[in-house]
Amino acid sequence: MFAFILRRLFTLIPLLLGVTLLVFLLLSLAPGDFLTPVKMQRDVPEQLIAELEREFGLDRPWYVQYGYWLANVARLNFGYSWSFKVPVVDLIGSRLFSTFLLSLTSLLFAWCIAIPLGVLAAIYKDSIFDRVSSFLAYAALSIPEFFLALLAVWFAATSGWFPIGGATSIEHEFLSPLGQLFDRLHHLVLPTVVLGIGGIAGLMRIMRANFLDTIRADYVQTARAKGVPEGRVMFVHVLRNAINPLISAFGFSFSSLLSGALIVEIVMNYPGLGNLIYHSLLREDQFVVLAAIMLSCSMLVIGNLVADVLLAWSDPRIRLESRD
Amino acid sequence: MPLPEDAETVPFPPGQAGALFVSTQPGDIATLNPLISEDASSSSAIARFLEGLTTLDTETGEVIPNLAKSWEISDDGLRYTFHLRQGLAWSDGHPFTADDVLFTWESLYVKETDPVTGDPVIDEATGRPRLRFPSRPAFAQMIEGEEVKAEALDAHTIRLTLPQRYSPFLLFGGGLNILPRHILEPYVKAGTLLDAWSINTAINRPGELVGMGPFLLESYRPGERIVFHRNPNYWKRDSAGNRLPYIQRIITRIVGDTNASNVAFARGLTDAESIQADNVTWISRAADTFDFTIHDLGPSSSTSFVWFNLKAGDDPDGKPFVAPHKQKWFNDVRFRQALSQAVNRQGIVDGVFAGRATALHGYVSPKNAFWFNPDIRRFDHDPARARALLAEAGFTLRGDRLHDADGNPVEFTLMTNNNSNLRTEMATVFAENMAALGIRVELQFIDFNTIVRRISESFNYEGALLGLGGGAPDPYASKDILMSDGRLHFWQPQQASPATKWEARIDDLMRDIGREFDPAKRRAAFFEVQEIMAEQQPLIFLVTANDYVGLRNRWQNVHPTPLGGVLWNFEALWAEPN
Repeated sequence: MFAFILRRLFTLIPLLLGVTLLVFLLLSLAPGDFLTPVKMQRDVPEQLIAELEREFGLDRPWYVQYGYWLANVARLNFGYSWSFKVPVVDLIGSRLFSTFLLSLTSLLFAWCIAIPLGVLAAIYKDSIFDRVSSFLAYAALSIPEFFLALLAVWFAATSGWFPIGGATSIEHEFLSPLGQLFDRLHHLVLPTVVLGIGGIAGLMRIMRANFLDTIRADYVQTARAKGVPEGRVMFVHVLRNAINPLISAFGFSFSSLLSGALIVEIVMNYPGLGNLIYHSLLREDQFVVLAAIMLSCSMLVIGNLVADVLLAWSDPRIRLESRD
Repeated sequence: MPLPEDAETVPFPPGQAGALFVSTQPGDIATLNPLISEDASSSSAIARFLEGLTTLDTETGEVIPNLAKSWEISDDGLRYTFHLRQGLAWSDGHPFTADDVLFTWESLYVKETDPVTGDPVIDEATGRPRLRFPSRPAFAQMIEGEEVKAEALDAHTIRLTLPQRYSPFLLFGGGLNILPRHILEPYVKAGTLLDAWSINTAINRPGELVGMGPFLLESYRPGERIVFHRNPNYWKRDSAGNRLPYIQRIITRIVGDTNASNVAFARGLTDAESIQADNVTWISRAADTFDFTIHDLGPSSSTSFVWFNLKAGDDPDGKPFVAPHKQKWFNDVRFRQALSQAVNRQGIVDGVFAGRATALHGYVSPKNAFWFNPDIRRFDHDPARARALLAEAGFTLRGDRLHDADGNPVEFTLMTNNNSNLRTEMATVFAENMAALGIRVELQFIDFNTIVRRISESFNYEGALLGLGGGAPDPYASKDILMSDGRLHFWQPQQASPATKWEARIDDLMRDIGREFDPAKRRAAFFEVQEIMAEQQPLIFLVTANDYVGLRNRWQNVHPTPLGGVLWNFEALWAEPN
C-alpha cells in the first residue's frame, strides 16, 4: 500500500513539469506581458520599465525564465506576485480558506441530496418520482454553471433574502461570534446551491444506475430468499455494493475542491482562490498562475489517490499492491 | 492629543461627528506602499492615510499648502525652502518633523552597493549608480537623471535643492507622500523598503500603517473589504474648533467590476459612486427611492482620439512600417485636417454617450479651465469642406470611392481595444463618417496588449483609436506625449531628433514650460502647443466623456469642484450618525 502511494506521488513530478512548461510557453505566446499596461500609462519613467523588466526576468527568453523558476521551485521558493509584491504562497494561503469552505459545503450538499434521491429513484424505478427526478437531473446537468450563478444573483437582488455576492457582510467585524457564523452561512447558501446542483444531477444518475445493477445481483436474490427484511436488503446489501463508483467520483470532486469554483466565484464575487487566479491570469501575473495550476494538478492526483485508497478500504476485493 | 498650533481651519460650517461611510470599489488593492502602487484601487487607499507637503486647490488648480504651511523659492529657481506646520503628529502620536521629509527624500535615492566591496553598483546601460529601491517615485523625482538634494535646516524647515530649473516641482515634488521615519527606517536599513506595507501588513498589522492623512487602516480582508477609521491626530479643524474628520469609519467593499459597484449604489447600499456616462440613466431611476443625487461634474479629463502611424523607415524584415503610398497620405496635413473635418463629434456625443459627453477639438479637455485654449482652430463637422480639402490635396472621387493622385483607392485599418464598448462604438461612427468621403476604414477590435505592442514595439499598424486618462493638471505631465522623444508620442514615438518643424517647435515650448515659473508665460506657451496640435492634427480628437458622481443626500458640506469631484473634502463631510 505504502509503495503504491509513493509511486503515485512520483508520477506527479513529470506531470507538473509538463504542465508548467506548457503554461510558460502559452504565457509567452500571449500578446504582451505583465508590464504592457504599465507602458501605456503616462509619467512612467523609462528607467523604471527597464528596471522592472530586468527584475522580473521579462527581458529574457521564456525557456530561460522557466529554468530560473524551476530552480527556485526546487528550493521550495514559489516566487513573488508581481502585482501584490508578496510571496505567492502567502497570497494563495490568504484565499484558501474561503474556497475550501465553499467547496466543502457544496460537496456535502450535493452528496446529501444526490444519494437518497438516486436510491429512491432506483427502488421506485419507472414510477412518476423516477421520471420527474430524471428529468430534473438532465435539466440541471444541461444548465451551465455561470447561468445558474447569474440566476442566483438575480434572485438575491429581487427577493432580498440573500446577500448579493461576497463572503461576509460589511458589519461582519462588529458582530458577535455567533452572529459572524450566521453571517458567513447566510452568504454561503446561494453559492453552495449553485455549485452543488450540477454535482447532484451527475451523482444521482450514477447512484441510480449502480443501485439498479446491484439490485439484480444473485446475492440480493439470495438475501431476499433467506427472508431478510426488504429494508435491510436495500441498505446493507445493495447500497454497500452500489456505492463504490461514487467513491471514485469523490476523488474527482476532491481535485476540484480548490479550483472548481472559479466561475461561480467570479460571477458571485466570492473572495476565493478562483477569483484570484482569474485576475492574475488577466494581468499575466505569471508566478501566481503557475502556483495555482500546480496546486490544481496536485489536488487532482492526490484526490484520485485518496479515492483509490478509500476504495480499497471499502471493498476488500480490491488489492492495490496487486497492480505492482 | 491637543490640536496642533498650525492646525488648518476648513471653510465649511461645523458638522456632527460619528457617521459611517459605505462604498464599493471595483478591484482589490495590491499594496499600501506608495513607492510601488500602480493601480487606482491601491492609490486611492494610500491617499486616505498619506499626505504631501503641498497639494492642489481643486477649485483653481493652484498649488496650496498642505503639511508645509509656506515656502520660498530662490531667485534662480533651484532652492525650495519649505516651512512645516508646527505641532503636528503622526497618527501614532510620534511628532512629525523635517526629519521625516528628509528620510522620505533620502530613501528614494539609496544606492545599490556591492556586498563585498561596499561600492555603489553602476548600471551598465545608463552608466549611473543603480538604485537600491527602484520605484516610480524614485525615477520620477529625478530631474534629467539628477537627484534632488534634501537638507533639514531645523526641526520644521526643509530645503530641497534641484539640479536645474524645473517649474512643476512644487506640484510633483511637493506632492510626494511623506513617510514616517520611525516606522520605515528599519526597512530601509534591511534593504526591504519595497516589501514594507504590503497586503500582508494590512492583513496582520494594520496599526503599522502610520500616516498624516485623515483616515487610518483598521482592517483589510483580501477580496472582501477595507475598513478605515478616523485619524485621532489629524491636523485640520472646523470653525468651532472641532478636530476633523467627522466620519468615524469608511467601509469599502471590494467588488468584481464597475457593474457590481454601480448596482450596489443603485440599490441604496453605498453612499457614493462614480458613474460612467453610459450608466447614468438607469441609475438615476432609483434616485428618489434611495434619496441620492447624481452630480454632473461636466467634461472629464479623459480624452479619446484617432491617429495614424507616421513611423518612417523599415521594420527588421526590410519592409516599410506603412505602405509608402499610405505614408504619403498620413503625412499630408491636408489629409488629416480633412478627416478631422469629416468627424461628426456631436453625432458621437449623442449616439454613443446619449448626450453625456463633450465634443473635443484639441489636446486639453475644457475641464482643465486654466490650461484650456478655447481659440484653437476647430474642424467642425462639414463633409463638403472635407471633400474640398481632399480635392486640393490631389484626391479624386471615382464612383463612390476616393482615390489618390496615383490612382490608389484610399482605405486603411483602424484598431481599438475590444473590451471597451465606448471605443468600439466611437470607431464605428468614425468609419461611417469616413465612408461619407469615399474612404473605406477596416475596423479591428483587438486585445489591448496587442495594440500596445503594435504601437510601441512592432509599429505594424495604420490607424488607431485610443484614449488617455487625466494625469496631473500641469502641462508638463504631458511631456511624454507631446515631445518628439516621448514614449507616448503616439504617431511616431521616441524620435532621435524631431521629424518635423512643428514638432521641434512643440519640443521647445515644452522645455520652456518646464523651466518657466510665471503662470501667465507657461499658459501662453501651452496655448501655442495646443494651437500647433490643432493645426497639424497628429491626433484627431473626438470627445471627452462627462464625469458623474452619485452621492446620498444625507451628506452635508458637499461642494463639488471640477478637479476634485465630490469627495475632495472628505474630512469635512458629515451626516447624522446612523
